[in-house]
Amino acid sequence: MSSLPQLQPAEDMSLRIQELAANLKISDVMTRKVFAVTRSCTMRDVQTIMKNNAISGVPVVDDKHVIGLVSVHDIMNAFEQGWMQDPVAMHMVTGVRTLAEEQPLSFAMSAFSKFPYRRFPVVNRKNELTGMVTLRNINMALIQELSRQLDAIETEGGRITPPATSENCIFHRIYRIARYDFESGGKATAELREQLQARGVSPKTIRRAAVACYELEINIIAHSFGGTLSLYVDRDRVRITANDFGPGIPDIDQAMSEGYSTASDWIRSQGFGAGMGLPNAKRLSDEFVIQSGVDMGTMVKAVVYWGGGE
Amino acid sequence: MKKLKVLVEALAAKTVNGPAGWEDREIEGIFASDLISDILIADGENILLLTSLLSEQVLRTADVTAAAAVVLVNRRHIPVALGKAAAKQGLPLFYTPLPKFESCVRIGHLMEPA
Repeated sequence: MSSLPQLQPAEDMSLRIQELAANLKISDVMTRKVFAVTRSCTMRDVQTIMKNNAISGVPVVDDKHVIGLVSVHDIMNAFEQGWMQDPVAMHMVTGVRTLAEEQPLSFAMSAFSKFPYRRFPVVNRKNELTGMVTLRNINMALIQELSRQLDAIETEGGRITPPATSENCIFHRIYRIARYDFESGGKATAELREQLQARGVSPKTIRRAAVACYELEINIIAHSFGGTLSLYVDRDRVRITANDFGPGIPDIDQAMSEGYSTASDWIRSQGFGAGMGLPNAKRLSDEFVIQSGVDMGTMVKAVVYWGGGE
Repeated sequence: MKKLKVLVEALAAKTVNGPAGWEDREIEGIFASDLISDILIADGENILLLTSLLSEQVLRTADVTAAAAVVLVNRRHIPVALGKAAAKQGLPLFYTPLPKFESCVRIGHLMEPA
């Protein structure tokens, strides 16, 4: 049996999903009601358990430690070979990869993209089996987290403070941004400025962060159907994440080029729409990532470090 | 570099919001634009912003770019809400009936190095 401490969140995982997963641990999403067998149980016993409980993988344990796993595939093999009365120890898959329950959910997501397995047993600090995690668990957890965040934003006047995920976190807030709501445009940015001023961040850095934040905030208002803006401040940087619900950008290179704009006359009458927003936000940021899907939405992450960008 | 009071007088501007000590604020540069997108790109510190825009976004933009003060040009009246918003954020705010070009010419001369 081996664990997966070397895994990091997949690089290509979408920003929105990374954000949703950020507050979750594997123990939050795993199935706790686990059907496990001991090494002396037969393949037939496992097949019965699978059938009665509609599951497709059963871990084999020895004193709560995972020593193997029997999947539907192994059962089919046993049928074919006439091994159904054999003890599972003879035909189980050994060297099963497990996940630790205190690991972040992103570790489990990486494990699924890295290995061909459909389920991972989850163990506690004593290496004892405490749960199972499947892609279905992960999908359900992400959907629940998404709707929980949206509900919270609705009921708390357009913004929420998520639970702290790191001891370095100084300020973390998510704002709901409505389409064409220019009147509220800049409110999130104003709070960011206040926070940074209160922490003694240099005026130059505050300016970079505030302008980048404002550009992204206005972009959601002017160009999207609405979305959220997340501000995360820790000891040496601010991370601004803008997510919207569409319409998405067909050509990101074009959108990133100075002077290109899809703004309507009305947006221009508000003083915006010169096609400088995204390039300006990128220019001011030390890290800048943009992803977009037509009819899905756009995600932008901009990070400004204290003392960066000089 | 010029004191804000000197520039405001040159523009015959009236005060909408004048936080204590505004007269002595040192202005290092001027930026004149009616496009917020352009104002957001302007660099420099202790900037006096000239614009004929009247939306509250002007004040927010001044805030995020840390502009020292704002003069609304080509104006004879200012919405009350704008004055209140400026007072709330402690931003010196003025207005002048002079058009933008005329305003720029007047203070442009003043800002030239002696």
